[in-house]
Order: sequence, then structure tokens, then C-alpha cells
Amino acid sequence: MYAWIWRHLPGPLAVRIGTAALLVLGVLALLMFVVFPWAEPKLPFNNVTTTQ
Amino acid sequence: MGTVEDDRGVGRISGALSGPEVPPPRRRSDPVRTVVRTIGEILITAGLVVLLFVVYEVYVTDVISAGKQRDVTTALDDQWKTDAEDPQRVDHFEGLKPGEGFAKMYIPTFGADFHFTIVEGTTEQALEVGPGHYTDTAYPGEPGNFAVAGHRVGKGSPFNDIDLINPCDAIIVETKRSWFVYRMLPEKADKANWAATKAKNPLCANVNPLGAPYSDLVGQEIVTPNQGTVIAPVPHHPEVAPSVGQQAALMTLTTCHPRFEARQRLIVHAVLDHQIPKDQLPSGQPPAEMKES
Repeated sequence: MYAWIWRHLPGPLAVRIGTAALLVLGVLALLMFVVFPWAEPKLPFNNVTTTQ
Repeated sequence: MGTVEDDRGVGRISGALSGPEVPPPRRRSDPVRTVVRTIGEILITAGLVVLLFVVYEVYVTDVISAGKQRDVTTALDDQWKTDAEDPQRVDHFEGLKPGEGFAKMYIPTFGADFHFTIVEGTTEQALEVGPGHYTDTAYPGEPGNFAVAGHRVGKGSPFNDIDLINPCDAIIVETKRSWFVYRMLPEKADKANWAATKAKNPLCANVNPLGAPYSDLVGQEIVTPNQGTVIAPVPHHPEVAPSVGQQAALMTLTTCHPRFEARQRLIVHAVLDHQIPKDQLPSGQPPAEMKES
């Protein structure tokens, strides 16, 4: 999977490294700001209230 | 990286075969190998995502919540300043919007940097901002049970250490007009010998095991999540409804327990020790209780 992505990155080595870093950052941002905030309320780690 | 599995690569290698020391061309990609490797990569990625989620829960949410807490504190300070000329000498809390700040809380035992603006409501959104007030419970200083929920891990972790509050430690609530000094109630183990032991502590002057109907009330307890009666006016006894005049003014903190889990709830009960109207103190000065530690 990762080898496949690397092979399909265009340009010389430096550009490829830059693109790969950008991809990683993009995935990180997507997880931190979209996926995790969405998933978190559905998980049982942080319920602090009591219910009847 | 540098693999030769595609046709272009193979062509290049075969062109170089004339040299004697060139290794034999790598086998063409084997579908089994590709599948196994891809599964491995996906599993490693999933593991990293789970680790990242922990980082998010424990650190990133702190940063996000700190910003929201700052905003709501600024809004509350502004509101207290602009209403300063209001001739009424009492606090009123009606008409609060969900997530709106209305009081600040301090626990001097935790140091001067422990201060949070309490917001109205206990929804996910409200608790992201700060400790949240259970909407159907009393407000600061009122008879009944002023109940507040807060996160233990992440989201600013306001109630991370509330298991470390000791009986008689102050939990101070500041409203526009007043300082309310609550003190944690005796713990179960201390109740029997209270008069002979802890009651000698000057901080405990007004803190005593409460009589009926509060006789089974303790300062700290761990309950299951469905025991919502811990925030009743008489905790654990929703059926008992003493008239407002006979109700003690309690404060209850709830958070999750154990840390990082939500199997149980950690509950801290405190009783109102005394109230200090702000106009009895030099302007802008906190009460002496803030220096207890």
C-alpha cells in the first residue's frame, strides 16, 4: 500500500518526500479535526454525568 | 522504493543484464505476498490511529477546551463588569443559555491556578467548555444540591484530581455578588470519630456529619453511572423532599472513574460553610479562604 503510493508520487526524490510529508500531515489533520471529534462521543471513555 | 515490480522497471533491469555482477531480477510481484503485506500495513496503520486517538483525547482536547474556557471566562468577566451598576444585591440565574458561564470555581488545595468557569448544562458541548451545572439542580448558595459534572481526562481535565480533596477542604464558588465557601463532608471512615478527631481542625468548624435525612451522606463515594440520585437535593433519597428551609445547601461534583474509563462515577459532596458578599470585601479582593492549601 505505502510502496504503491510512493511509486505513484511524481517528481524527483526531494519533491516526493515533500509530497509524502504533506500527505501525512493531511491525514493527521483529518483525523484530529474531523474523525476523532466525530467518533469521540460515540465511545465510552468520557461520560462524567450520572443518569437516572 | 526502488522496486522493480512494474513493467518499466523490469525493462530497465533486463537492459542492464550484460554486466556479470548484476543480481538476478527480482521475482515478479507475487499476489499472496502483496495481499499479506497490505494487510500488515493496514494493521500497523490502525494501531497508529488508535495511538493518535489517545494523544487526541489526552492532549489535543485540552488545547481546544482551554480556548473555549478562556472565551467563556472573558464573557463572564465582561458581563459581571457591565452589570456592576445593577442595584439588585442578589444573584439571579434564571434564563441561562446552555453552555453559558455563570460562576467560577476554585479549589485552593489544588493551587492558585485551579480555576474554572462553570457553564450551564451537562451536554457534551457544555462540558467541553468547562465544568457543567446539572440544569435541574440548585444554583450556588441555594438550599438543595448545586451539582456540577466535569471531565477527568482531557478537555481541560477540570476534575482530574477531585479524589484528592480531603474532608473540610474548601471548594469556593464565585458568583457576581458573592463568594460561597463549600467544604467537603466527612468521609465514611471519619464519620464515627468525627467529633474526637477531624472536628478539632479549625477548617472543620462548620463541617459536621449531617443529621437526618442526610445521615448516610459521605464526602466521597464511587457509584455506578445510573445512580443519578447522588445529585438529588437529599442525595440517594429523591423521595425525601424536605421543605426548602430545611434543606442543606450542598454542592456535588461528579466525574468518571476510574481514570480513562467510565465504568463508575466518582462523587464528591460538600456543604456550604459560609457566604461572603463581595461588597464586604475590598473591591476585587478574593476571600482569605483562597489561600488555604
